Amino acid sequence: MLLVSGDAPAKLTRDDAQKLKNPVANTKKSINRGRLIFMQNCTSCHGEDGKAEGSLVASATDLTSPQLYKSGTSEGEIFHSIRDGAGDQMPAFKSQIDSETDIWNLVNFIRSLWPEATRPAVVDDGK
Amino acid sequence: MSESIQKTENKTNGVPEPESRPSRRGLFASLGAGAAAVALVNPGKIFAATPPPIPSIRIAKDITDSLAESTKLGSFDAKGGMTGAEVFAKSCKDENLAALFCCPGNYQIINAISAAGIPAFGGRSEGSMTSAADGFSRCTGEVTACSGTEGPGFTNMIMNIAVAHRARTPLLVLASNVTIATDDREYFIQTGYQQPTTEGLKKYGKRLIAPDRIHEYTAYAFRNLKTGVPGPVHLDFPGEIYNHRFMAESEVKEYYSKEKYRTESRPHPAPKELAQAVDMINRAERPVIVAGHGVFFHKAWEPLMVAAEKNEIAVVTSGPMRGHFPDEHRLSASLSPDAFMSADLVVFVGQYSMPSKQERWRFNPEVKAIRVNPTGEDLGRNWPLDLGIVADEGAFLEGLASDLPQKKRDAWVGELAAARQKYEKQLMDEYDQGLKHSQATNTLHHAVVCKEVHDFLYKGSIDPKQTVTGWGGWTIGNAGARWLRAYRPGQEVNCPYQYSAVGPDLAMMIGAGAAVQLGVGPQAPYKGAPVLVITSDAGITYSMFELDTAAKYKIPVICIVYNNNAWGMWPSAVGTPRSMHMYLFQENLRYDKMAEGLGARGEYVRTQDEFRKALKTSYEVAAKDRVSTLINVQALKEFTSGKDYPPGNIINPEPSVGALAH
Repeated sequence: MLLVSGDAPAKLTRDDAQKLKNPVANTKKSINRGRLIFMQNCTSCHGEDGKAEGSLVASATDLTSPQLYKSGTSEGEIFHSIRDGAGDQMPAFKSQIDSETDIWNLVNFIRSLWPEATRPAVVDDGK
Repeated sequence: MSESIQKTENKTNGVPEPESRPSRRGLFASLGAGAAAVALVNPGKIFAATPPPIPSIRIAKDITDSLAESTKLGSFDAKGGMTGAEVFAKSCKDENLAALFCCPGNYQIINAISAAGIPAFGGRSEGSMTSAADGFSRCTGEVTACSGTEGPGFTNMIMNIAVAHRARTPLLVLASNVTIATDDREYFIQTGYQQPTTEGLKKYGKRLIAPDRIHEYTAYAFRNLKTGVPGPVHLDFPGEIYNHRFMAESEVKEYYSKEKYRTESRPHPAPKELAQAVDMINRAERPVIVAGHGVFFHKAWEPLMVAAEKNEIAVVTSGPMRGHFPDEHRLSASLSPDAFMSADLVVFVGQYSMPSKQERWRFNPEVKAIRVNPTGEDLGRNWPLDLGIVADEGAFLEGLASDLPQKKRDAWVGELAAARQKYEKQLMDEYDQGLKHSQATNTLHHAVVCKEVHDFLYKGSIDPKQTVTGWGGWTIGNAGARWLRAYRPGQEVNCPYQYSAVGPDLAMMIGAGAAVQLGVGPQAPYKGAPVLVITSDAGITYSMFELDTAAKYKIPVICIVYNNNAWGMWPSAVGTPRSMHMYLFQENLRYDKMAEGLGARGEYVRTQDEFRKALKTSYEVAAKDRVSTLINVQALKEFTSGKDYPPGNIINPEPSVGALAH
């Protein structure tokens, strides 16, 4: 089953999540929107730069190093981690970020933090 | 549950206890001698005799007698004149120092303050007493003092001084400090360099070294405590200072009254700046005032309300206390965090601990900003400003209330209402999930605990404005912050504000409870009401013994301990299993039993029904008999994790009712 949707199933397995495709194009606009969502929800654990160098929690993932991701690096898996929580410490954010589009924007921003060689190409949004 | 607390008479015979009792050493010596004598006469029957009944916990007559003593202010006309301690206490009295919380040590100073008639409370550890003073101040806005002895007493206060510093509490920190004559000699006992120790944790500090300048430095202290942005002031007293005797007023340098050594004058906004602010607000479509702790400390809640209503400006409260704008008001944005994104102007008023723009405050990066602060040196730090104004919060808000035109902002008010509805639905969704987890595990989820407290305090028969609350801990603290409400000034204490300390919560709320019992400042209409604190099993460790202090002074506190058998940060050990043991406690510890041993009531609950009953009974006993209760709520550490028990521990949006960092 290939899941392509802005309305992802309420319950996802890791396998399902892997198959999810991001319906939001990886544009500068989307990344900027994702950055805003990140600043408002994620910096206390992952830091302003995503490197998780602070001390609030010990097991927050360094988002700039995909090889350190514990719950997958595909866009669907990242979506799943944000929406439904990941590991023992990261809570589900679906009640706080209730727009799935915004979660996908956040996915685009997080992947923009990766090293240049692994970073997904940015699509021209015509601006 | 202990039924024998608060008795002043011997339970077994109803006869009042004798006025004088043997010392502990004498008592043990006589018991030992008696037992030895019995063993010698009849060694076979030593264990056959009925042991005497275990005496009840009670408040000693010495305590009640002491509290009933009349006050005595020092006088230069007295035989022997006045000591330095008495001169200091008189100055504190003249400054209306609201209360002192201390442990023995710094004897002359604390004795003189208590004798002067300033409400004084003696507790079990200096750190907790420091937080009690902090809590008293947070819910009244008044200057309070804490005191400890030199050396260990003083260093025991450090974490709690730091907590007060980050909250900008006007806290007068007092400590004795050996003598000037023995400085630098490692002279027994407890010598130490106090002022460098509190560097970075205070607004002002001084080791007093000239006895005749004691009043001069008291003036320094109160100028700093009562002017501008408040913060802790630390005075340390060598013996030469507090023991010095003054036979005449002329022997004390700079001995003039507070009207001459400080001013009540307030900085007012320049007319041009006020006009600019009025214009910016009036032109904005979605303005928000962030009403920080300066609005509370400078008692500016009335002009805040007038200005907000006149021009339909949204208001979100912020800081170490809440309630200076009521949560239920249609213009309150404290429960509407998603509305901030569309705000086009934010007006920070008395927001002393500024977030940075990158620190997850939910405003649009393009939002215009005005900041109003009583002093200028902080304006522009962290948040770029379109307009910075040096002004007292009250003076600025009075100016707004006067100069803003009447305006309707129906779209903005509607947006606030929609965002609130959404936030409340999020809370209910979390509660619904928590309830299922509770029912499945026969333990209580944090969302269930906090919603029950919410419904009990605000939806039942109790005046919703009555009870002062506080919260701390990690999982339970975050949840508590989401569910507790503030409907009037000084109603909610944000115990871990900014510094995120685990543990001062109970002590802080005992201090707040003392303020309510005395009816100080905004607590006057609710004088005598109980206070309630939600805390964790990790946090309770730091101040649990102060339940003895609460019992001793009949300060009724309902203390809810979320017992999940672990530090809230236990998931930090998941990746390194060998370290997990460091994050865990024994399971099913009985904090209720420990509370009973300290003279409070204890309740143990695992279900929603049990918790409801325990809350009701505890509140009734607190209100009627001024007896405190600790409710041990058995939970599971796994509720912190969203993996098995979604949604896990939610980090609250800021600013909002749940704000912790700023």
